[in-house]
Amino acid sequence: MNSRRYLVYNLILVVALLTGCQNFPKDPEKTLEQVTNGTLKVGYSENPPWVVKGPAGPTGIEPDLVKAFANGLNAKIEWQNDSEQNLMEELEKHNLHLVIAGVTDDTPWKSKISFTRPYVELQKKKHVFCVIMGENAFITKLESFLRQQQTTLETRVQP
Amino acid sequence: MKPMSRFEYPEELQPVFKKAKKLEWITVAYLISTALVVFFTMGNSQAMKTAYFEDLLSLTPSVSFLIASRIFHKKPNKDFPYGYHRVVGIAYLCSALALFAVGAFLIFDSASTLIKQEHPTIGIKVIFGHEIWLGYLMIGAMLYSTIPAMILGHLKLPLAKKLHEKNLYTDADMNKADWMTGAAAIPGIIGIGMGWWWADSVAAIIISLDIIKDGYKNLKQAVFDLMNQIPKTVDDQETDPLLLEIEHKLKHQPWVKEHTFRLREEGHIYMGEALVVPHDEVNLTQRLEKLGKEISELDWRIQEFLLMPVQKLPNDGEDGRPA
Repeated sequence: MNSRRYLVYNLILVVALLTGCQNFPKDPEKTLEQVTNGTLKVGYSENPPWVVKGPAGPTGIEPDLVKAFANGLNAKIEWQNDSEQNLMEELEKHNLHLVIAGVTDDTPWKSKISFTRPYVELQKKKHVFCVIMGENAFITKLESFLRQQQTTLETRVQP
Repeated sequence: MKPMSRFEYPEELQPVFKKAKKLEWITVAYLISTALVVFFTMGNSQAMKTAYFEDLLSLTPSVSFLIASRIFHKKPNKDFPYGYHRVVGIAYLCSALALFAVGAFLIFDSASTLIKQEHPTIGIKVIFGHEIWLGYLMIGAMLYSTIPAMILGHLKLPLAKKLHEKNLYTDADMNKADWMTGAAAIPGIIGIGMGWWWADSVAAIIISLDIIKDGYKNLKQAVFDLMNQIPKTVDDQETDPLLLEIEHKLKHQPWVKEHTFRLREEGHIYMGEALVVPHDEVNLTQRLEKLGKEISELDWRIQEFLLMPVQKLPNDGEDGRPA
């Protein structure tokens, strides 16, 4: 049985990979690369106070977060307004990078798209952003950004 | 007819059996702890969810061993005149089925991830104020579910052979399945980090083939044991060489003209009967008793061997003698 050798190979692989990678994890479809210095395609559906439809694009808690995030990546935002259903389908087809609609982590969309970790909790509801499945570089970047905003957000959503 | 006199392990094997029981208690505690660790690191990763269910399922052999070990040594009684030995075979069937199910579950799950092209999402987790990629935590959890399982499995194999415990042997196979899936998941998770969304599933499929092979082998043997197939060895499922010894014993009795016998496995132990055609009937009862005693003293596993004198051997079908 060469089982022990197998384990040793694994461990070597782990060490080699962890020391060799700066940008880790990576995206299978390079979302983060495309968005950085490019365009962030965001779908939104009205759900005050999280997302409020306005004459000059959406406002509210979540659009503000998206704007700050895009700013950090030096990206333009391309807004798309639709129903939550249609937006989720577009996200699943990778036509959008991000969907905001005041979504909480108990929505039934879970299997076809992914959520960020909850960025704020209000009245026992955990609020999340919806993202493309498995674009792990993009997701970790966004999650990390949302975490930095956590304290400001918590004071902002205080009832 | 009086119920069987002897039951289960001889004195010299009692400490071995105690050690096996202790190992199984450790296994149960360890598997529950790995299931908890995996549960807290799984996030919404499908791969980790599979690992979690698998951990729960892999409790079956150790739990069934521990349950059976409380039952099989009970003395035969009016209601169970053959004793409780067969509970071991039932436990073995449960274990083998669980092992097979783990393999089947894993291959089905991984294949469907590949076909549906589901890209696994692994985000960040915040621990004590520090952000860490969940993938690294998963790798840590996998290491925890790899190394102890490997050690436990290796400790169980020699005990299983000594005790003629196929259930324990299957549990060692289950530990092997556990550590192999753990070891495969590590490059799988790193692969996901490299942007190869398929890495985890491909690694799991390769490992699941091995688990299915072990599971199928044991499942088949467990069913055959309950169907009274001739006794097979624990490790390689070859016909037990003990049958040759019995054949040898019967063949070299000067007073036996012709003979035939069969043996079946009842958990750890064997039971059997022989038909003998004597040359004459001088001291027949004493001779039969002496021979029966000699045969059951060949090995502790032969707990009951009945001899029946006949005038002529029946010739319907083959007997259970080794070729």
